[in-house]
Amino acid sequence: MKNIFSLKTLWSFLYFVAGIALMGGIWELISYLTKNEIPSPRNTWLVFKEVLQNPMQDDPDYKGIGVKLLSSLKRVGIGFGFGSLIAIPVGMLMGSNKIIMSIVNPMVQILRPVSPLAWFPLGLAIFQDSPKASIFMIFICSLWPALINTAFGVSHIPQDHKNVSKAFGFSNWKYITKVVVPFTLPHILTGLRLSIGVAWMVIVAGEMLSGGMGLGYFVWEEGFNGGSVAKIIVAIIIIGIVGLLLDRIFMGLQKRFSYAV
Amino acid sequence: MNSSSVASRIETIEPGVEPSLKPVYNSAKCIDIRDVTVSFKTPKGLFTAVKNISLSVKKGEIISIIGHSGCGKSTLMATISGMVKPTSGEVYANNNLVTKPGPDRGIVFQNYSLLPWLTVYRNIYEAVDSALKNKTAKEKRELVENNMKMVKLSDHRDKLPEQLSGGMKQRVAIARAFAINPSILLLDEPFGALDALTKSNMHIELLKLWNLDNREKTIIMVTHDIEEAIFLSDRVVVMNDGPAATIKEIVDVPLSRPRNKKEIVHDKTYMTIHDKLLNLLIDKFSIDDIS
Repeated sequence: MKNIFSLKTLWSFLYFVAGIALMGGIWELISYLTKNEIPSPRNTWLVFKEVLQNPMQDDPDYKGIGVKLLSSLKRVGIGFGFGSLIAIPVGMLMGSNKIIMSIVNPMVQILRPVSPLAWFPLGLAIFQDSPKASIFMIFICSLWPALINTAFGVSHIPQDHKNVSKAFGFSNWKYITKVVVPFTLPHILTGLRLSIGVAWMVIVAGEMLSGGMGLGYFVWEEGFNGGSVAKIIVAIIIIGIVGLLLDRIFMGLQKRFSYAV
Repeated sequence: MNSSSVASRIETIEPGVEPSLKPVYNSAKCIDIRDVTVSFKTPKGLFTAVKNISLSVKKGEIISIIGHSGCGKSTLMATISGMVKPTSGEVYANNNLVTKPGPDRGIVFQNYSLLPWLTVYRNIYEAVDSALKNKTAKEKRELVENNMKMVKLSDHRDKLPEQLSGGMKQRVAIARAFAINPSILLLDEPFGALDALTKSNMHIELLKLWNLDNREKTIIMVTHDIEEAIFLSDRVVVMNDGPAATIKEIVDVPLSRPRNKKEIVHDKTYMTIHDKLLNLLIDKFSIDDIS
């Protein structure tokens, strides 16, 4: 931490500022060219402050942006949580057993490229409830990256590690806890990082379809239907920053649990 | 025993331990390899790694297996350890048929094979914990402590393998193998990745540990280093080139112990054995021979 004010951090901070300034410049230019059809950064900032007022207000007719954000995060959390809970064990089975891999892999390969939005009507048909349908959609689309990465990790456990556990007679439990999980953890975390990214992208679309709650609904209802492009941009910025934070959390975990093999 | 070698022994025994221990050669066959053939199924068909190998090793003997790369040395080791089942023939260890790895055989692998997410202490402990199920937790911890002390790694107990040098990693691997107190020690090219100086030290460390244990452990080592094989072994097993490798010749090393690294190279017997092994392993000695 003592190097936080080093020359290197100073430079990277300056580059960051330069990047933001460049983006702001282009934005300003576009705003000028479209004759404020796209609001300028300054006008957007005013709307941004307005949106951020009373973020936690939770009345039946008005819900603050914080409440909307949390409701989106909650759905992502539930869908992503259930998805991971299934993806990790199934991925481990696939990675450790060639027969299971051969049985499950074709299904994964067919279902994985399906657009998350295609699952929404199916979820609606199953649950008869649009918030549940959007959780279902998150669940399905956050399955695949975690599943595939876990399976990859488990199937690439080095022979050396297997030999050690064989030579010293590790029990199955010890083999799983001392070899499989530690070796696979970085792969699992990579999968989860990809999953949460997809889930966060998909929730906005899901909430546009389901309506009622969340950031997606905010973009659609208050932004587009309300005729405020500034609000759309504000929502995009918030979605982007939250997505970045989610990504950083998993990146931090990844760094924490990777070993030189 | 050669008196001059006693004066400047490098292979020193710890103070307080009787230095003139004779190798314990009782007639019991500690390891008995009977007509072992090992074949693997490969996409190109059946591949026979070693063929019709028979070898008996006495208790307390140190044997080196030497040969060119890919001659099935490691396969033979894996068969003794029980990790590979022979296609035909049997291996007996301490009069028991070998069917799987067991705590009577400690293994030191080619690439140390430490688990990178476990500290020095945990690497040894997990092996002890698995191999010696009848011991109490306290006894296991003591065993780990003692063996870490033996290889002088107690100060590095909480380090991960990536923080250790090659020689230190190998010492952890050796401590791990010794900690389960096996009667047979199987070393698969244990010092191959080390530099010459570290390697020399490790040879002496190994013999020290062997001495401390009253020279009762039987050691089989795979190597492709002739000097290493002579310095350490009682017999050197020379393998033919694979596939379907067989034993070419077994060379006795009748040099008294303890041996001195510096002096042994001037010994007549040493030189004779060295030349013999060189001739067995290499048929071209200069560019003039290649024509």
